[in-house]
Amino acid sequence: MEQTQKTDVIVTEDVTKVYAANGIPVNALNGIDLTIESGEFTALVGPSGSGKTTFLNIISGLDSPTEGKVWLAGKALSEMSGNELSDFRRDNIGFIFQAYNLIPVLTVEENVEYIMLLAGVPKAERHERVLTMLETVGLKGVANRTPTQLSGGQQQRVAIARAMVSEPTIILADEPTANLDSKTGADLLEMMRHLNSETGMTFIFSTHDPMVMERARRLITLRDGRIDPDETR
Amino acid sequence: MWWISVKLARRNIFRNKRRTIIAATAISIGLTALIFMDALMIGMQETLVRTATASFLGEAQIHREGFRDKQEASLTIQALDEVTRSLAEEPTVQHFTQRVLVSGMITSPANVSAINLIGVHPPTEKFLSLIDDAITEGVYFEADNSRDVIIGAKLAEILEVGLGDRVVVTVSQAKTGELSQEMFRVSGIYYFPDEGMNSGMAFIRIQKAQEMIAIGSDVHEIAIKFTSIAYTQDSTLPFWKTYSQHGNEALSWTELMPQLTVVLQMTTYSKYIVGVILFGVVVFGIINTLFMSLYERMFEFGVLRAVGTRPLGMARVVLFEAGALAMVSIGLGVILGFLVTALLAHTGIDYTGIEMMGVTMQELIRPVMTVGQFIVYPIWVFAFTLIAGLYPARHVAKMAPVDAMRRSF
Repeated sequence: MEQTQKTDVIVTEDVTKVYAANGIPVNALNGIDLTIESGEFTALVGPSGSGKTTFLNIISGLDSPTEGKVWLAGKALSEMSGNELSDFRRDNIGFIFQAYNLIPVLTVEENVEYIMLLAGVPKAERHERVLTMLETVGLKGVANRTPTQLSGGQQQRVAIARAMVSEPTIILADEPTANLDSKTGADLLEMMRHLNSETGMTFIFSTHDPMVMERARRLITLRDGRIDPDETR
Repeated sequence: MWWISVKLARRNIFRNKRRTIIAATAISIGLTALIFMDALMIGMQETLVRTATASFLGEAQIHREGFRDKQEASLTIQALDEVTRSLAEEPTVQHFTQRVLVSGMITSPANVSAINLIGVHPPTEKFLSLIDDAITEGVYFEADNSRDVIIGAKLAEILEVGLGDRVVVTVSQAKTGELSQEMFRVSGIYYFPDEGMNSGMAFIRIQKAQEMIAIGSDVHEIAIKFTSIAYTQDSTLPFWKTYSQHGNEALSWTELMPQLTVVLQMTTYSKYIVGVILFGVVVFGIINTLFMSLYERMFEFGVLRAVGTRPLGMARVVLFEAGALAMVSIGLGVILGFLVTALLAHTGIDYTGIEMMGVTMQELIRPVMTVGQFIVYPIWVFAFTLIAGLYPARHVAKMAPVDAMRRSF
């Protein structure tokens, strides 16, 4: 693979990851070749230990493969330095975690604007974009609250706002509905699908949740570190 | 970015209040100990010097060269009139007194004892020594009786004499070496915590002493009190050169009591050693606190790294936290240090009667506070806190986000 197509957001080539568990090598990923195009709403599914976590870590640049290469937005992650990778994640990847993982000592507004602060966005613009984003995720009027003053569903909405506010190329969501009740989960999924349609942002979910699987337009199943199967609906 | 790092540090410090309070208290106790120890050392040094110089020694002395080694009665101060006139006009000199010193023997009907017989000029002697203040029985040369002798309580006990009893003092004359004997009446008994002063000295009027050893109006020693004790440690002061002429030598207490100078140097070194130990305790306390806080929030640091915070930015957050912890600790430590030191400076610490290198403490030690203690030590604690914070900061900066977020995806 010399060059990615213009619409290819993620391209992996023969990605292999081997961990040493108590000195015994364990193959978490076995030669994954995958292309994800911009605007996809994709779910990565599979049983525990199938390699979903490892795969998300590798395509986000949080971990490096033992073998193989990853291109994200046309750039080879393996060729970037530590600082370049940090900047690249800041500008291109939005993260949504299962446990929300907002910074508890920062207010909702400060949590959402954090990435823009890193990117050096001026204060006035930050403030405006945060308020717009909070309104988009249905959290108007909570900007000055702290995460502990919000419900789980509201915290996950803040996490979505934080992930999307800097308009990244791709959103990686780890079990985003796992800690939510069915209704809140369904509402958030609808909202993310709507944002996906509106903005064209790429969403990749790692999930066990049938609700997510139902709404995904592409379902990639991982089993023993291999793709089996990859279905587009 | 700096703004958010400061905000994160400040808020994180108060996130686990109990831990912060415990850590800040530990660090502030270290700072308090540093401030107090410094104040105590200054107080102790000042008390030691004051005790050593004010009891009898004086802050400086003039002798004939060789007198201190040989203690020969014939080695009297040269050009005494010129020296005395000059001292009277010396701006750095507050008081001075002349003395005659000779070894001799004192005899009572019951016993005999070797003594240093000291001839003093009572009106000026009282500015240079504390004999008059230490009188416990009788009076200090009140009447104009040349046969008055003042002795220490221990010597009175050895001789089995009391006020008004007669004693005989025997000395050798300066030039001929012939024995000279005089009878005296005990007119005063003094008590000093210093055993040597209590048992081995007897004071008579200077004229009588000069007469007994036949040295005319000559003297062996001039004890001096300066307008400031700081002059004693100023080797560039012209005084030393001016009065070290005509075969005489002018020496500061630091040279007269070199063992005390060594003690003071030792206390300074001990201060450094204790300081290093205290700083070590403070540093490890900080590292421990920061690491506890760090491991508790490992996942959070992973999230910050994941969303694009650079390694240096992560290190900055930890360093700012260390700085915030230092600020809180310094605030506490300065207040606590002031209160503890002020309290003990007010009440004093009782070391009286304890002998240190030939100087017996005669007064309470009062810690001495200086502005520097409240500036220098807090700056050191702040700097050391930041230095201590470098290790956990480096740890966080080098941490792989995936390791920190092991529980994430």
